[in-house]
Amino acid sequence: MEPALTRAWFEEQNRMTPEELRTVTFPLSRLGRRGYEEESVEEFLREVQDEFVRLVNDRTTLWQEVQRLRRRVLAEKPDGGPQVLFGEADAHVHAVRILSTAQVTADRYVADAKAYSSQLTEEARLRRDEIMQEAQQYSDMLLEDAHARASEAAVSALNGAAHPQSHHERQAAQAELAYLRTYSDVYRAHLRAYTEGILRGIEDWERKEAASLSEAAQAVPIAGAPAIDGNAYMHH
Amino acid sequence: MPRSANWRRRRRGAGSLDVARLRESFAHVAVHGDELPLFFYSDLFIKHPEVRDMFPVSMAAQRGHLVDALVKIVSQVDSVDDLTAFLQGLGRDHRKFGAVAAHYDAVGASLLATLEYFSGPAWTPEVAADWKAAYELIGSVMTAAASADEQLAPPWWRGTVVAHERASFDVSVLSVQPEPRMDYLPGQSVAIESPSRPRIWRYYSMANAPRRDGLLEFHIRLIDGGALSMALTSSTVAGTELKLGPPVGALTLSNPVSGRDLLLVAGSTGLAPLKAILDQLTALPQPPKVHLFFGARTADGLYDLDSLEKMAAQYSWLTVTPAVSADPKFAGETGSLPDVVARHGEWSGHDAYIAGPTEMVQEVAARLASVGMAQDHIHIEDFGWSQP
Repeated sequence: MEPALTRAWFEEQNRMTPEELRTVTFPLSRLGRRGYEEESVEEFLREVQDEFVRLVNDRTTLWQEVQRLRRRVLAEKPDGGPQVLFGEADAHVHAVRILSTAQVTADRYVADAKAYSSQLTEEARLRRDEIMQEAQQYSDMLLEDAHARASEAAVSALNGAAHPQSHHERQAAQAELAYLRTYSDVYRAHLRAYTEGILRGIEDWERKEAASLSEAAQAVPIAGAPAIDGNAYMHH
Repeated sequence: MPRSANWRRRRRGAGSLDVARLRESFAHVAVHGDELPLFFYSDLFIKHPEVRDMFPVSMAAQRGHLVDALVKIVSQVDSVDDLTAFLQGLGRDHRKFGAVAAHYDAVGASLLATLEYFSGPAWTPEVAADWKAAYELIGSVMTAAASADEQLAPPWWRGTVVAHERASFDVSVLSVQPEPRMDYLPGQSVAIESPSRPRIWRYYSMANAPRRDGLLEFHIRLIDGGALSMALTSSTVAGTELKLGPPVGALTLSNPVSGRDLLLVAGSTGLAPLKAILDQLTALPQPPKVHLFFGARTADGLYDLDSLEKMAAQYSWLTVTPAVSADPKFAGETGSLPDVVARHGEWSGHDAYIAGPTEMVQEVAARLASVGMAQDHIHIEDFGWSQP
């Protein structure tokens, strides 16, 4: 009888099993000395395990092939009659293998597509977070700046009240106040424009999404609607 | 349990099933890894092409499920009650895929052919008889559970989307009308299939207790590359018809209620089952004190905070604490959920219900156990036999 591809057989022959490779551990290196990088060792072991599984599977395939050929030899008639090269059982196993290969290929395509879409959504999400964060920081900065200016103005106004000001000083303070007002007007306008820009972006996004969703259901252009070309022609 | 009695009788009968021999035989073939389920499904689809349509395009996950189920069955083949419950659940669950009794014979034949192929010379008549007997038992328990279930529930529900709201950048709230009406316990989930992703089922929890109009609310978070979540958050609109599997899961209040106060911990859309439980509590004459922690990475992720805070304002027994883990400038609690929960007190006298990303759920559960909460007072999602 052929040596069975069994765990018992592996043990009997003192052979290594994929299971053994998966569970093997190494003692830690002594303090102060660097051992192998754990990750590399593990990665290597994973590769060895895959290879091992491949080998075991190849062996089974070969064993099946030997059995098939053996059956053929045994079945061979002494009168040398016509041979069936491929029995029904063999044809089935081949069909199974072909379908399995096709399935694995399909699985890889799906996995690749999934990885790609995962990458795209992740990048889009990171970019979105970045934009939101930038907008947040920008508006925080504007607010802080405006607060600082306002308290500065308040302080100088108080100081101005406490100490009698020269005409020159008063003029300078008024100029400063006028400047601050303009400055805060400009900032407010800036912040408003920026926020409105973001809102427009969001609305546009919503509109596009709704449009793409209803695209399939959209009717063909209504007959009798004014033809732009015709109007243009009449004006000539 | 009549099933287990049957199982015992058959196991004793004529020594038809040698457990040790079955396990050894499985250990021999398990060495072949993914080749085993690959051969099995190809064999099945060649002999019965009509079965192929019950499966998704990519079979990679499916092959893993088959091997996991086989490993579980072989390892528990002598602990009858656990295995029986597992197989009954599996049998009921397979109704939504359209499995009928005839499929069980086809699957059995392909399973035996696969085991024979990989066993090589170790496939003796005795081993073949063991597997045949084992599969007949598996098949009979599953089909019996499935046909008993036929009296109680449809194989699946048609779920018509009546509204799709975007609650935040990444979270959509779907309102779904099931047909016929679905009865379930608050905290349970159903598997959902979308017409744009045929044969791909994912579990989602209902976010409300059963209502008079029967509407179900689902919270769907867009997962990067997530096959179903992308379809549900983007191409699903009012009118889309989903398929819903039967309600499953044990993240439910005990009946009658324990009398202990409740600690609810929700990460992201893990809020859904806990909100259903809150919904259930509002109908009680004397609800226990409830402290709900709702965590997300950023403030934008706290998609349902407004409605929770409204509830907290309305019900004096409810406290809601939002927490954000990746934005130190957030005005409320910041840090990881286990830390935030631990900071708020000593919970050992409470019943805890935890839902959210697997890692977060486990961390919170471990933290609560370490501060002395009894293991059976900590409730987490457990689909048991079904595979999300």
